[in-house]
Amino acid sequence: MNRIVLLVSFAGAVLLSGCSSKLLPKATAYKGFYEEKPVSVLIMPPINKTANVDAKEFFHTTLNVPLANAGYYVIPPFLSMEILKQESAYDAELFLEAPLSKFGDVFGADLALFTIIHRWEKASLLGTITVEIEYLFKSVKTNEVVYQRRGQINVNNANTNYGQSSPLGLLIGLVATAVQTAATDHAVVGLACNNATLQDLPAGKYSPLNGNDAKQAAGEKVFKMSINGNAVATQNMAVWYSKYTKSK
Amino acid sequence: MAIAFCLASCSPPKTLYSWDYYSHISHAYIKRSGDEKATERLIKTYQQIIDRQKGTRKTVPPGIYADYGFLLLQTDQTEKGIAMLKKETELYPESGIFIERVLKMYEE
Repeated sequence: MNRIVLLVSFAGAVLLSGCSSKLLPKATAYKGFYEEKPVSVLIMPPINKTANVDAKEFFHTTLNVPLANAGYYVIPPFLSMEILKQESAYDAELFLEAPLSKFGDVFGADLALFTIIHRWEKASLLGTITVEIEYLFKSVKTNEVVYQRRGQINVNNANTNYGQSSPLGLLIGLVATAVQTAATDHAVVGLACNNATLQDLPAGKYSPLNGNDAKQAAGEKVFKMSINGNAVATQNMAVWYSKYTKSK
Repeated sequence: MAIAFCLASCSPPKTLYSWDYYSHISHAYIKRSGDEKATERLIKTYQQIIDRQKGTRKTVPPGIYADYGFLLLQTDQTEKGIAMLKKETELYPESGIFIERVLKMYEE
């Protein structure tokens, strides 16, 4: 039930944000994909522009799932991170404007995915998490940006289930909100952000839609979305996560 | 193309692959590097993804055999680790360049 709510709210939010401007077809917005037909993607270490030191590592482990689900071969993230570190190539910012051919030679990559974390903020009492992440796919052959989107996502955990009529009720509501915001798994937020942004990625080699989605609408290049955190951090996940972190 | 936001517990996902709790468990592994329990959980997750794959492709997702192999190598299960790396190239030939390089590192 929660999943359906989440899917609907995604779809609804994306539709709403699209209504105000004309959307290009994917074949136009992402023509590099349809011209080159890339097969494999190298995930570059996320570029963290925030004061939140943990943002980068929390985000890194969520990126390969949507890429693989879109039909791409994703170069193994743990292995590739290790090799990048050994080659002193871990600071992806150094490569944003540099030639990428070496990554084709070493990793067999056709595309490099750069992510820039612009914002990653938690306001526990308000119950909101705000993230702003930019995704850039660059062709390793041509060094051109073939896909670029930037999304601001608000995850709203504000717990309105408790009565506002008594001080105790208000306090319980505040605490529940703070706890849920604190426990809302960073991986969950990362996943939600990825899905919201990458839902318009052209279908890769292993997808049955490969080559057939050229006329579908690409999303807006810059967008905002609000997600109900109660749907994102389902009870099972929050409980699992809090049990796991307590065992430290 | 809808990317279903799907958890391990749900009935057959409409995504190409099923991932168990991969994102959470791999992020916990990174956060607490060296922790035995975190490592065990990640190993179990890789095994689940391989042995109980429920995606529409009915195939192990990209990178899973390889990263599983890498983890096995790091926990001194060298023979099995190398076997998993080789499985990656069998399943995904485009991984050949990279995996060959990794195998060379470990065969030295």
